Amino acid sequence: MCGVCGIVSFSGPPDLALLRRMTGRLGHRGPDGNGYYRDRHAALGHTRLAIIDTSGGAQPLCNEDSTVWVTFNGEIFNYVELAAELRRRGHTFRTASDTEVIVHAWEEWREECFSRFNGQWAIALWDRRAERLVLSRDRLGVRPLFFIRRPGGLLFASEVKSIFADPSVERAFDPAGLDQTFTYWSPVAPRTVFRGIEQLEPGHYAVFSRDGFRKAPYWRITFPERGREPVQDVRENAEALRERVIEAARLRFLRSDVPVGAYLSGGIDSSVIAAVVARYTAAPLRTFSLRFSDTEFDEGQYQKQMSAVLGTEHQDIVVGRSDIAAVFPEVIRHAETPIVRAAPAPLFLLSKLVRDFGYKVVVTGEGADEVLAGYDVFREARVRLFWSRDPGSAKRSRAAELLYPWMARSPGQVPAFARSFFGRHLDPADPALSHRPRWDSTSVIKNMLTGELREEMSRAGTEDVVTAMPPGSEDWDPLSRGQWLEMTTLLAGYVLASQGDRMLMANSVEGRFPFLDRDVVDLANALPARHKLFGLEEKYLLKRAFADLVPEEIIHRTKQPYRAPDAASFFADSSPAWFGEAMSERAVAEARVFEPSLVSGLLAKCRRTGGENMSNTDNMRILAVVSTQLTHESLIVGGGYGTLDRALPDPSVAVDLVNDDRSLRRLNLIS
Amino acid sequence: MNRDIVEQVLRDYEALRHPDADGGLEAVRAAILIEDVFDVVLSDADIDPAVLADASALAALAARLRGVV
Repeated sequence: MCGVCGIVSFSGPPDLALLRRMTGRLGHRGPDGNGYYRDRHAALGHTRLAIIDTSGGAQPLCNEDSTVWVTFNGEIFNYVELAAELRRRGHTFRTASDTEVIVHAWEEWREECFSRFNGQWAIALWDRRAERLVLSRDRLGVRPLFFIRRPGGLLFASEVKSIFADPSVERAFDPAGLDQTFTYWSPVAPRTVFRGIEQLEPGHYAVFSRDGFRKAPYWRITFPERGREPVQDVRENAEALRERVIEAARLRFLRSDVPVGAYLSGGIDSSVIAAVVARYTAAPLRTFSLRFSDTEFDEGQYQKQMSAVLGTEHQDIVVGRSDIAAVFPEVIRHAETPIVRAAPAPLFLLSKLVRDFGYKVVVTGEGADEVLAGYDVFREARVRLFWSRDPGSAKRSRAAELLYPWMARSPGQVPAFARSFFGRHLDPADPALSHRPRWDSTSVIKNMLTGELREEMSRAGTEDVVTAMPPGSEDWDPLSRGQWLEMTTLLAGYVLASQGDRMLMANSVEGRFPFLDRDVVDLANALPARHKLFGLEEKYLLKRAFADLVPEEIIHRTKQPYRAPDAASFFADSSPAWFGEAMSERAVAEARVFEPSLVSGLLAKCRRTGGENMSNTDNMRILAVVSTQLTHESLIVGGGYGTLDRALPDPSVAVDLVNDDRSLRRLNLIS
Repeated sequence: MNRDIVEQVLRDYEALRHPDADGGLEAVRAAILIEDVFDVVLSDADIDPAVLADASALAALAARLRGVV
């Protein structure tokens, strides 16, 4: 795991000083080393978190004749098998790293190489003979990759703050990106919340040369037609899932030259992964957990139980409301986007705990909820579909009472509210039937926007993700359509980004996600929907496949989604010092996103209640405003980088073909 | 969907039933499963604890609605 950045310029040599500034802003992603490469038209930068081939493998790295260079963030977990195949085809390797596999694979297979990779990556390849930059991102968007196109050039980086190191890049919010964020919880690639800044779509590669810019998918999220799934037998599918998850977890645990820890949330997903590692590898396992001082959110009982069953060395951190408030500005500086939940903040503190114990890699259960249908949004969709067949039926309307059993005020306890909330827009033909309640309730945030921004959003036009659903998706099971929407919006844009990569890399920790393994996802997407969501029983096949490894209390406990205190974090105790300034009427007016008078009203309401018992809408509103203000302050105004700017130590790779054509020779890359 | 798969589904559902729960709500839960798995639409009269009492009742209902089991 690392940070990557680069500049392509066909009008003259890229500015090396700018590249070094860009690289410096990615120091947290790679504290173990850094390097650069520059020729007359391209410059690549890299900060390294050394995990595989820690003594070799420094980047940027090139092929045998130094004509193809790569800067790479991530892991190619099947690199051992790919390297063996490439050696058989005549390629010569200088290192034992997965990075070197990329350049040889590119030489051998060109764009076809990406579909052969099983891993998580953001890659930039520069072919100096062809004067061509190739960018690639993993299938589901585990690793970030941003870029900005300019006449005759392009800048790219793992994080936007690196691109903003170029003072000529405009820093402004993108109205359409904000519109998506306040609907789907995050912008949907290629959109970002910053004007002119794009992100490469997951599962895509892009090519930039003198001929222009083009991009294409090498993989797509897809599902079979309902009823035509290849295997209908639940036992057979459970065995196949077990085999693939075991292999995915083993690969992610063993393919590392540094120790790998595991997160334990107390739910089934991380428990399965930790149990598989404990059962199928010989290495000792250290587990890390997040607890909350608020009992409503705490899962410590189950974490301790699972740790005891596995006999792991276990560490946890107990997070309170004031802890969330204290780190929130830093969280947003890393997330680089407005968010509508405080949930990333505790994960920032958890990855710090991991790092404090000397670990820089963790495996987690992330992705199971999307791939194997664990989220309430899928149960909600099934209930709504059931109800939509006869909206007037009193019996069918009772189905809403079966939702959200974990909530203190569950729909079962307030059935009238449940019926009014889940009963809206009951259109069985709507491809987004699953997601309308979430999107509708999130969109209420937009009522607080300034009139000016709303007009800009209106002019920018609506980018409805539903219109991007693939041809043939109307024949998928409704669950598959919901999964496609969830993977396309929340997984890539929020779960793997603001809650995932950014919170882990903020503390220089790499996350590895066995449930997002290529082979696991391919199998899961081909399953009959009933094997994932059986009636209203979520992750049915996963529970069945691993019933022997995980205690029954954890397998069958009511699913509790990961949540953290939201508004209460900023109001229950005294508000932190930064809060008054960031939320002042002057600062809100300066950011020009939210209407200051409406923000004042919301703040007054929060102060009256201490942020307690706020509605879901008000919790999202306050988080949206606070995080937008902090994003504005740290990235657009640009004064809040603080600890993120690190002085770079001497580079371990320094190739400058513009000023020093002997630099390749010094690296023993040419004779 | 062949008979083996149908029987498998019904057995699996039986194992997941919540015997202590509200009978009316359990009937709704069963109806959701039946409609999804067997691609049928139940009448309000069928969404009833007596009609959806156990695996054999579910099988009979699915057979009646689909005419194939």
